[in-house]
Amino acid sequence: MRVWLAYWKKEWMELVRNGKLLILLLISGLFGLMNPALAKLTPWLMETMAESLQDTGLLVTGVTVDVMTSWTQFYKNMPMALIVVVLMLSGIFIQEYQKGTLILVLTKGLSRQKVYTVKTAVLLLMWFACFWLSFFITWIYNDIYWDNKTASHVVLAAALFCLFGVWVILFVVFFSVVFSEVSGILAGTGIVVVISYVLGIFPRLKNYVPTKLLSSQELLTHAAIPEDFGGAVVVTVLMMAAAGTAGMFLFARKSIK
Amino acid sequence: MDMLEISHISKSFGDREVLRDVNLTVPKHAIYGFVGQNGAGKTTTMKLILGLLPANQGEIWVNGEKVSFGQNRTNQYIGYLPDVPEFYTFMTPAEYLDFCGAITGMEPHDCRKRTKELLSLVGLSQEKHRIKGFSRGMKQRLGIAQALLNRPKLLICDEPTSALDPVGRKEILDILTAAREQTTVLFSTHILSDVERICEKFAFLHEGKILCQGSMEEMKKNCKGAGFQMELEHKKDVKKLLQRFPEGIQQGKYGVAYQQGTKCQIEEVLLWMLREQISFHSIEKCSITLESLFLEVVGK
Repeated sequence: MRVWLAYWKKEWMELVRNGKLLILLLISGLFGLMNPALAKLTPWLMETMAESLQDTGLLVTGVTVDVMTSWTQFYKNMPMALIVVVLMLSGIFIQEYQKGTLILVLTKGLSRQKVYTVKTAVLLLMWFACFWLSFFITWIYNDIYWDNKTASHVVLAAALFCLFGVWVILFVVFFSVVFSEVSGILAGTGIVVVISYVLGIFPRLKNYVPTKLLSSQELLTHAAIPEDFGGAVVVTVLMMAAAGTAGMFLFARKSIK
Repeated sequence: MDMLEISHISKSFGDREVLRDVNLTVPKHAIYGFVGQNGAGKTTTMKLILGLLPANQGEIWVNGEKVSFGQNRTNQYIGYLPDVPEFYTFMTPAEYLDFCGAITGMEPHDCRKRTKELLSLVGLSQEKHRIKGFSRGMKQRLGIAQALLNRPKLLICDEPTSALDPVGRKEILDILTAAREQTTVLFSTHILSDVERICEKFAFLHEGKILCQGSMEEMKKNCKGAGFQMELEHKKDVKKLLQRFPEGIQQGKYGVAYQQGTKCQIEEVLLWMLREQISFHSIEKCSITLESLFLEVVGK
């Protein structure tokens, strides 16, 4: 465990010193603030635009916003936050292959399993930190301006979306072992997400694909019930276990040049 | 027991065969030179020893334990210095050595003490800046410090002096010589003078094959013979000599040189010259150098 923590400390030090931690937390905080802020500003925006819209024949009357407007904004912004986390941290393995820094670490007897698990844990922690920071900022402001109680399953809906992020990150890690270029990782992960989307078009499969979790906000308005996501959660967890295990197996056998 | 034993190792990258049936034995507490031209397969051999690459065939044993690709158990005995060591540049040298100590399972107080000792040994004890701005020489010195940190039984250095200036080279060779007390050193290079200076045994690797190995004395015994050169008195005798012993090379107007590995023996040539009453100014037997040995075994 001491060895694992030493490598963890190194990863953490890197995130702090290269500024990525600060940037990601700032972006997440900004996303968190944007959701209630945009909801709050919507009536004013519509009012200022009313005159020009009237010229085009559109009539703007009595725009009302509530907590759902802010949460809708949250679920629009979170895919963007996930993309930012993936783009900023997808080089976590590749940089080490390309620079050759992993060679000295592995030749010191550090097991590849520890390298793999630490890097995966760092990526997941950063996703959790970014997602839940954004969530709590939105939640606090929503509670101040409106009332979170008018939306149901707020935490469960967020947790399901967060699980989708974990699924994406485990595929980023898997493709980090398979490919030695960032473009390969992004393309591989993108293809997996697209396949899930495409399969979700078929009515018989739509409740069993990981991308189903992206519609977890339906829980807030009772448009869906938690049981609707059971199949997708099981499939997502199974895929995560498969990607994680396969990635670790391949990493143990990867040639490090 | 030998510290390192490489037995019938072969390695290919695609169709390209990089190592062919390599056998090598490094005894304990030796400084062993692994000599070869660029691209001969030295770095590949070292990465196989470190379990970073899989071998197509053969076995490697370090301190009596078999090396398995992907598993790093035998690396606990090894300190490795790559040709271009790459570090986490956001750390200071002391932080990097602390990190290395922690991942090798050293006790914190022992690691701190050892870090201090080694940074002083490699002349980086006053360096408090991050590794980012380090020169090649400084990185090489830090590389040696990290390689020696956990008192390895086998120190593997891949061309540690290749890109250094004469002062830097001397420093590194001195450190390696001093390290011999505590460890066995496998030292790859294409700089033959470095090998002559610090290695008591060496192997020549050429196009993925070990051509010969042993001490300088053993190599000399197997050598076809040192070359010799002479300066004759008359120009006409030079022509006569070259007609009788055509392997010679004319040097200037009166000089003839027979290079190492020549078939004709100095005694035979001398007897013939006495019989023919050929007078000369000088005859000199050349000493066998590592360079001449290397050129002989690679057939150049």
